[in-house]
Amino acid sequence: MSIISSRAKLLGTVFSLALAFSAPVVHAETPPNVLVVAQSIDDAVSFDPAEGFELTTVQSFNNLYQRLVQSNRDDGTKIEAALAASWEAGSDGKSLTFALADAKFASGNPVRPEDVIFSLTRAVKLNKSPAFILNELGWKADNVDAAITKVDDKHVRLTWTADVGSGFALSILTAPIASIVDEQTVSPQAKDNDFGNGWLKTNSAGSGAYTIATYTPHEALVLQANASSSDKPTLESVIIRNVPDVGARRLLVEQGDADIARGLSADQIEALKDKSGIKVLSVPSARQDYILLNSKANPTLGKPAFWEAARYLVDYDGITKNLLRGHSSVHQAFLPNGFPGALSDTPFKLDVEKAKKILADGGIKTPFKIEFIVFNDQPFLSIAQSLQSTFAQAGITLDIQPGVASDIYARGRAGKFEMTLRYWIPDYFDAHSNASAFAINKDNSANTVAKQAGWVIPELTDETLAAVKEQDAAKRAALYQDLQKKIQASSPFVFMLQGNDQVVISDKVKNYAQGLNADQVYYDKVAK
Amino acid sequence: MPQRATPDNADMTNSRQRNSWRELSFVWPLSKWLWSFALTLFGLALVTFAMTRLSPIDPALQLVGDHASQSTYQQARLELGLDQPLPVQFFRYVETALSGNFGQSISTGQPVAKDIARTFPATIELATAAIILGASVGLALGITAAMRQGTWVDGLARFVSLFGYSVPIFWLGLLMLLLFYARLHWAPGPGRADVVFQYTVKSVTGFALIDTWISGKAGAFRDALAHLALPAIVLAFHALAAISRLTRAAILTELGQEYVTTARAKGANLRRIVFIHILPNISGTLLTVIALSYASLLEGAVLTETVFAWPGIGRYLTTAMFAGDMPAILGATLVVGASFVLLNAMTDLGVARLESGKKR
Repeated sequence: MSIISSRAKLLGTVFSLALAFSAPVVHAETPPNVLVVAQSIDDAVSFDPAEGFELTTVQSFNNLYQRLVQSNRDDGTKIEAALAASWEAGSDGKSLTFALADAKFASGNPVRPEDVIFSLTRAVKLNKSPAFILNELGWKADNVDAAITKVDDKHVRLTWTADVGSGFALSILTAPIASIVDEQTVSPQAKDNDFGNGWLKTNSAGSGAYTIATYTPHEALVLQANASSSDKPTLESVIIRNVPDVGARRLLVEQGDADIARGLSADQIEALKDKSGIKVLSVPSARQDYILLNSKANPTLGKPAFWEAARYLVDYDGITKNLLRGHSSVHQAFLPNGFPGALSDTPFKLDVEKAKKILADGGIKTPFKIEFIVFNDQPFLSIAQSLQSTFAQAGITLDIQPGVASDIYARGRAGKFEMTLRYWIPDYFDAHSNASAFAINKDNSANTVAKQAGWVIPELTDETLAAVKEQDAAKRAALYQDLQKKIQASSPFVFMLQGNDQVVISDKVKNYAQGLNADQVYYDKVAK
Repeated sequence: MPQRATPDNADMTNSRQRNSWRELSFVWPLSKWLWSFALTLFGLALVTFAMTRLSPIDPALQLVGDHASQSTYQQARLELGLDQPLPVQFFRYVETALSGNFGQSISTGQPVAKDIARTFPATIELATAAIILGASVGLALGITAAMRQGTWVDGLARFVSLFGYSVPIFWLGLLMLLLFYARLHWAPGPGRADVVFQYTVKSVTGFALIDTWISGKAGAFRDALAHLALPAIVLAFHALAAISRLTRAAILTELGQEYVTTARAKGANLRRIVFIHILPNISGTLLTVIALSYASLLEGAVLTETVFAWPGIGRYLTTAMFAGDMPAILGATLVVGASFVLLNAMTDLGVARLESGKKR
């Protein structure tokens, strides 16, 4: 009797403690004027647009800064005015004069030609990760001062030395690195000739819809509406919370504690598809997954017959339908769908017999083994296992060696690999961004993917450099189509997939916009 | 004229000598300990440095990514000092670390010391809550199990400790989130506070409970406490497994000792024997296991911190390792290592005191 009563007392105490504990926990919903986004922000290194080149920072730049011109949200191929009210191409074909619109930075300072000069020259001189984009115009630390000049208080003139047209120059100016920062706010923060880089790593000084209110690394990025913005955002703030675990991210959005969740796995998306209160947005992305073969690794990998056979040893449909389930679609050319001139045909499918015949005709004896280095992460490992199974059917053993990204990049740069699985996201909205990576390698002097493949292609390089010079848009698109066909027919790259970014979003969230390129994430029109 | 030593003076001199010897006897172990502390930290820094250098991660490439030009890559290598010979890199690091400056983190872009000041309190708060909970429940469970050996209570205690040992901690965390957050709505979700409180309370100490308490906002304090509860319970469960098993085993061993038989012969009941005779005798062992559990919570709560989006030092260190962020790895390892050594020293001191007061 006494035991029962003491047990009952114990249970009663535990229960009442639990109730007492649970009572104050009101199940919170996100505040009405705040957008809460759950994702991993562990990759963020710098919010300085001259340096930030990670997914998290790149996704923030369109919300913090404006550029002279920007890509249209729905059709990235269209370039529209932003801080420039208008522009005029010079008769020399190598200059543009921009008339500045009336705009203000978050500080209240007006946007002046001096800000344009400061922003673009500091980006070149700092020479951080994305600087190579501006280098495409021939801008270097020693010539950029002369290349960007003030015409008058409302006009700024840009000239370049590279053999490229003004259309291409405008595309380059849509890249996040061309964001215009407030010189009067940033300059006083400069230390040791860093052009304010140290300060801008965690602060913002732009004219975008939002400003950085607080940034706590690995914890949260809090954006606050920019009161000086010409187009004031609907919501007061955006909180991007670092939730590294995908399971926790799913729970947060399911429970209404987050309005948007990114980076969920195919299984989680599948489970959430029919859940009431949330929807899954599938946004086409310009990201592409491809196999990179090192043609210099051994004589077999250097044979075009092997490259061709490899294209028939990929289970394109199986990977997209069974493994990635909506995260990607089949795409077999170096320009993603949505870019002008992109080839959308898919001439290759899994055909083991054909691959075997190509190998035999090419004098390649099976069986043999290939070292296959792969990012130690999903979905790369799953895709690698699928490739391992299909290549094995033709007598090729893929020895999967998972590794961290920087090691795989380092081995790519040093040419110390046989085969790897990589992805590519264009750096700016122009076909040259991808063409320059895959179709340029005249003499191993530039760090291109073609160089990493050990593939020296002087002719294709010339064709690529001719394409970027072409001023006629239709002719230019045709040139890129031709280049893609050549690379599709014979190259040490096997293009397989184009991504679909799947974003889980609360039903309450309206007007969320996301475009094809990684930087095209917009929170300014979002309402709840 | 030299003063002759009178008996009184002689006593005073002797007493002074005794005092100075007493002081010396205190100073000598302290300096010995400080030496061992410094050597441990140096060894830790050396091993960690060697490991980061042996790892295949290229910090410069990790920083600039694959698209960057060769000149940007070279510039990053220069800025990180990677062009210097390894011994130079190491001694430069030690030199700056000695001044309390651990350098700049590659992955956060912030001074490492600032990052540690932000992340370590979060871990200390979580680990302390977990060890208080784990030790209280673990001790109670272990004592009850030993006193009722062979009964269902004993069976339950053994099952709980076995379960605590074997269950993957991240899985338990997710399961608890699913049950108490998503299903029952008893607990809040991941993170240290709800968004409504997270940016309205000023961080003074870095400890959410203290900061919300001194802010005077009752709702914020309650929210911080509620956020702490679930991850602390998960970690406590893991800690209590070790504590309850050891407590049970130690008590059962002592029960067979002669002094217990004597106490029994004198008519003492089991409760008295355990609480008055056995527990003081095994308190040193219990203190050691609790301290070890606490130390492992301070550096090993990575998965719990990940599942509960808890921005602690475990996750900071892991992220730094994946990013090849050498200053952050070295700084965080040294801080965790130093707290480990300090905790060990305090435990040794505590055990020595307990041993001297042993009762038979």
